[in-house]
Amino acid sequence: MIHLEKEDTKLMVAVHGWSGILLGLLLYAVVITGMAAVFAEEIGIWSAGHVQTSSAFQRPFDRAVRALGERTPEKYHEGVDLFEVGDRNMGVFFHRHETDASGNLVSRGIYYQLDAQGRVASERSGTGEEVFGPRNDDALSSFLVDTHVRLHLPNPWGLLLTGILGLAMLVAAISGLLIHRHLFKDIFTLRRRANPVLVDRDRHSVAGTWSLPFAFLLAFTGSFFSFFGTVGVPIVAMAAFGGDVQALNDAVFGNPRAVDERPVAVGNLDRIAEDSIRRTGEAPTFLSIEHFGRADSQVTSFHLPGEGGLEPATLLYDGATGRFDRAKPSIGTTPSAGGTLAAIMAPIHFGNFAGLLSKAIWFGLGFAMCYVTLTGLRLWLIRRKEAGRSLDWLERIVGAVGFGLPLGLVASAAAFLISMPVGSAVFWTPAAFLVGFGGALVLACTLRSAAMLDRVLQQATGVVLALLPLLRLATGGPGWTQALTVGQPVIVAMDIACILGGGWMVWRLRRLGVSSGRERRAPILQAAE
Amino acid sequence: MRLGRGIDMRASARKWIRVGLAGPMAVISALVMMAGMTQWLPGGDAGIDNLVLPLLLVPLLWAGFFFHACLDSRLSRVAILSIGLTMVHAGMVADRFVNSAPGPAQALRP
Repeated sequence: MIHLEKEDTKLMVAVHGWSGILLGLLLYAVVITGMAAVFAEEIGIWSAGHVQTSSAFQRPFDRAVRALGERTPEKYHEGVDLFEVGDRNMGVFFHRHETDASGNLVSRGIYYQLDAQGRVASERSGTGEEVFGPRNDDALSSFLVDTHVRLHLPNPWGLLLTGILGLAMLVAAISGLLIHRHLFKDIFTLRRRANPVLVDRDRHSVAGTWSLPFAFLLAFTGSFFSFFGTVGVPIVAMAAFGGDVQALNDAVFGNPRAVDERPVAVGNLDRIAEDSIRRTGEAPTFLSIEHFGRADSQVTSFHLPGEGGLEPATLLYDGATGRFDRAKPSIGTTPSAGGTLAAIMAPIHFGNFAGLLSKAIWFGLGFAMCYVTLTGLRLWLIRRKEAGRSLDWLERIVGAVGFGLPLGLVASAAAFLISMPVGSAVFWTPAAFLVGFGGALVLACTLRSAAMLDRVLQQATGVVLALLPLLRLATGGPGWTQALTVGQPVIVAMDIACILGGGWMVWRLRRLGVSSGRERRAPILQAAE
Repeated sequence: MRLGRGIDMRASARKWIRVGLAGPMAVISALVMMAGMTQWLPGGDAGIDNLVLPLLLVPLLWAGFFFHACLDSRLSRVAILSIGLTMVHAGMVADRFVNSAPGPAQALRP
């Protein structure tokens, strides 16, 4: 328990409330899309019907990359990134680092997408930002991630905004902790038979308190990611390297080695991948080749954290011979406190350090955060109503955003399932979100009451969510038998989750509808704190 | 009456000074401190801790400045700490620019 003076507590209550009110709705948008994005990979597999289960790094790719090296201008051999795209196919980005007209460090080169046979399926030239756009088969997961990361605003404004939202969440979490006079008692207090406002307050308090450490971690890691490239790196590069961002990158991420520009063919990449899988037990998530085709070439393979660990595994190979050099930290050349802390930021934020179990926990805690944000806004509005300052318009906006965003998201999923087979998912996925969310805003202006708005939006969301599996099957997605046969149980699990989630929403509303008439009394209003 | 107005004005001025210290000053202090920490933090075994830790800590630095400005009853203490740390760290960065040509990575290693 933290004891504050009465005045300080009042100030913290104000800080807690206003940090939520000013940025709460945007924060809610970031948290709800982040909650869904925890399963971005699984959503991608489910929505696009991916049936390939072996990694692109487990199939031969050396010959294809070697052939790409021959057709790619040598100026783009400075770095080659290899990673998975689509249904376990390979993306290869030959590039060099350069400074653009605005003074920003960018990667420019040629991005190839290979098909399952290793043939070039597409080829794009430009900077990383230009070539890595959403594709037809990953438009839904890309849309979720892009909304979460930068709310679809251009760089750097989107990242700055989500960084500020992260700080607002940090403030709400810390001030929420400070204003609890009886923290341990509050954690276990759920008065089910009290008046509705007290019940809501208890639920907000319990959900908020239990998810407090999680909220703190997410806010901290999220704001770190948002500010890292936009503010942090330029300032640290200015202070330590006179503004040379590339020098900072080399110092932190580089693998220093004596320069040897003699042309030497790259070592066998298939063998490197095979060896890295043998050593870590996992296929690489990413393979990076520095100085492709030179004697001083180095290959780094990146892997998810091993069992029981938080830090991702990283192995270094001699690029010219393909010989294993050493296991290295993800950041820095030798293990260090800063490197380890920086390396575990991503697993902590994404919740992918223990497979589906940690992802499910992160999803659940994300749901709790959405609940806390929404009920916090509602309680703040009730306090205003109690003080005779009813804000009906704000109540409707909270309802429209709170329940309109989930509606927009399920609408975008439905549109993706329909439009992906005809190749127009990149357009229709965000368009359907706008239609769904826009519809919610229109209803907020036209429906009789905020309560009715909540009900209609939740009903629509539940129905669309429950129908998504049918839509997926109707548009040619793999059936349950096929999915289980090829080893993709995640498709079946996602279908069941949609049916259960949507069914629960509809059932809950029906149950509330029956009980609301006899149980809802005029609330005895109390401060939300 | 005049005394009452004077007290009101002082309270109002104090409130706005606190808002300034918790708002823009907390941001400036956190960013300047991040830049300055690269000069005095040890590099660690990998020689990168002085570069990475300030990047990691900046959200917490900001939160520290923000809550200190909100909760410390003595505004002078908030101002001295905030402005003092900002000046010291800005001085370290300025000293680096004045006394040595910035550039090579090895110059960073403590």
